[in-house]
Amino acid sequence: MTWFTVAKKDFRDAVQSRALWALVTVFVLFSVISAYAYVEVPEMFGAPAGATFGGLIFFLVGVTGLFVPLAAIVVCYKSLAGERELGSIKLLLSLPTTRLNVYVGKVVGRAAVLAFGLGVGLSIGLGVGSVLLGAIDVLSMLIFVLVTMAFAAIYAGIMVGLSATTGSTSRATTLALGFFVIFELFWDVVPMGILYVVEGFTLPAELPDWIYLVTQIPPSAAYFSAILALLPDLADAANADPAQAGADVGTSSVAADPFYLSPEVGILILGLWLIIPFAVGYYRFNKSDM
Amino acid sequence: MAAIKIEGLTKRFDDVVAVDDLDLEIKEGEIFGFLGPNGAGKSTTIDILLDFIRPTEGTVTVLGHDAQSEGETVRRRIGVLPDAYHVYDRLTGRQHLEFVLEMKEVEQDPMALLERVRIADAADRKAGGYSKGMRQRLVLAMALVGDPDLLVLDEPSTGLDPNGAREMREIIREENARGTTVFFSSHVMEQVEAVCDRVAIIDRGQLVAVDTIDGLRNATETGETLYIYVTDLSDEIVEQVSEIDGVGNVSVHDGRLRVTVDGVSKFAVLHAIDADVVSIQDFSVVESSLEDLFVRYTTDEQEVEA
Repeated sequence: MTWFTVAKKDFRDAVQSRALWALVTVFVLFSVISAYAYVEVPEMFGAPAGATFGGLIFFLVGVTGLFVPLAAIVVCYKSLAGERELGSIKLLLSLPTTRLNVYVGKVVGRAAVLAFGLGVGLSIGLGVGSVLLGAIDVLSMLIFVLVTMAFAAIYAGIMVGLSATTGSTSRATTLALGFFVIFELFWDVVPMGILYVVEGFTLPAELPDWIYLVTQIPPSAAYFSAILALLPDLADAANADPAQAGADVGTSSVAADPFYLSPEVGILILGLWLIIPFAVGYYRFNKSDM
Repeated sequence: MAAIKIEGLTKRFDDVVAVDDLDLEIKEGEIFGFLGPNGAGKSTTIDILLDFIRPTEGTVTVLGHDAQSEGETVRRRIGVLPDAYHVYDRLTGRQHLEFVLEMKEVEQDPMALLERVRIADAADRKAGGYSKGMRQRLVLAMALVGDPDLLVLDEPSTGLDPNGAREMREIIREENARGTTVFFSSHVMEQVEAVCDRVAIIDRGQLVAVDTIDGLRNATETGETLYIYVTDLSDEIVEQVSEIDGVGNVSVHDGRLRVTVDGVSKFAVLHAIDADVVSIQDFSVVESSLEDLFVRYTTDEQEVEA
């Protein structure tokens, strides 16, 4: 159970960080302003029929899809690399615990910090939005907030995992930003690049199905699909299209398609993002000299 | 049973050998000083003992448990003051101790521990604002949590003023009187001399001496050491001086001749050098001390190279 003690201490330590509170403030402002904007001028945000609560959620998904990766970087990139560079890890590892417990404690602690900040920000944003709209869908809101908190926790795991692979904060920064740039900014290019190579350096007229799966690999794309899968009614109501999350291929005609073309695949991919970075990070962390 | 047993320990970092085939045994209940200049391999050895780093070859057994495979069990029974640590800046002194108490699953009053290291008045201040000496005291208090069977202290007097260093020694003695084995490293002989039962001297990753303080004292030249300023210094002069009757060891130290004298009058030796070898400008006499021994053990090779 020492992981829990480590997580608690880490949470206690991190909630006192000014950077975190600046981040939460920014997110609260961001979600309130975007909720307000969406409700006041829905036409501008692809809802000409008028603002709905479902539309508000899907609008916020786009915002959190960008905010969570950035927040995870700020909260987590130094989590282990920083402790190693400074030497505070020596105080931790002198205690009766194992590296696995320290690592799990870090992931849980940082995930809790991120999920907490996000939970606060989203609840306020959705609260303000529902007051402005005069409508609320408690169940959808709950599912949305929970999935988003899970997404935040998974992102925390990815960033702590990256931080665990190195004892230098500058390298940890490079890894975190590199991850963000590849998976969140430029991923659109990747499926096309793969297709181009696979098809013998030409682009076919019609895109094959598996391209969709490749577009779902980034955590935020998988998160968006997971929301679609869990809130299908709202998705229809809001006319949500995965294109908003960076997926270029339509998915609405899912009925007869294989599983990997349905939005449920997002949940599976999120699961992989939980497991793989954790395993890689632990392997490297356990092997290194502190 | 040995408190610490180090067998054939080697640690290589890329092509640098930090610890080279080290064998060492620390008995239960003793205060053991681990002495060597900076970079000699002291911290590397201690870091392996704590499983911060993994050995290239060899094993370390602590209180009967393998330091690598049973690290958690080992660390449950020891208290550690590591080298080059960093405290959690945003947590208070009290929070640091509460954390350690929880990790060690021990019920103790954190304030009593802080009082023992004399920083109780700063208990609720954030450790980031502590001075170096206060941090050292805080981490010592953390090491004392749960009355460990073995204290491992890496350069414990770092950052402490003379008063603090004395208090540190008092705590070491008190803990030892309670039955705790103490293993601590230092690059300053006089700290080790003041409290240790036995001492190991390590240099360039290799053990150069292990003995009791008295044993070391006896091994030291019983006579005195002359430091002589002469008009000319060369290998030839060193050789000629060493052939004079009653002269023990001759070397060059800080631009002076360092001559040990045993059994004859210092005056006779000085006179012989001045008359037959090289003229003397000035000299000083130093009683042989352990410090002297330490310097000699760990710098001899460089002198030969020079």
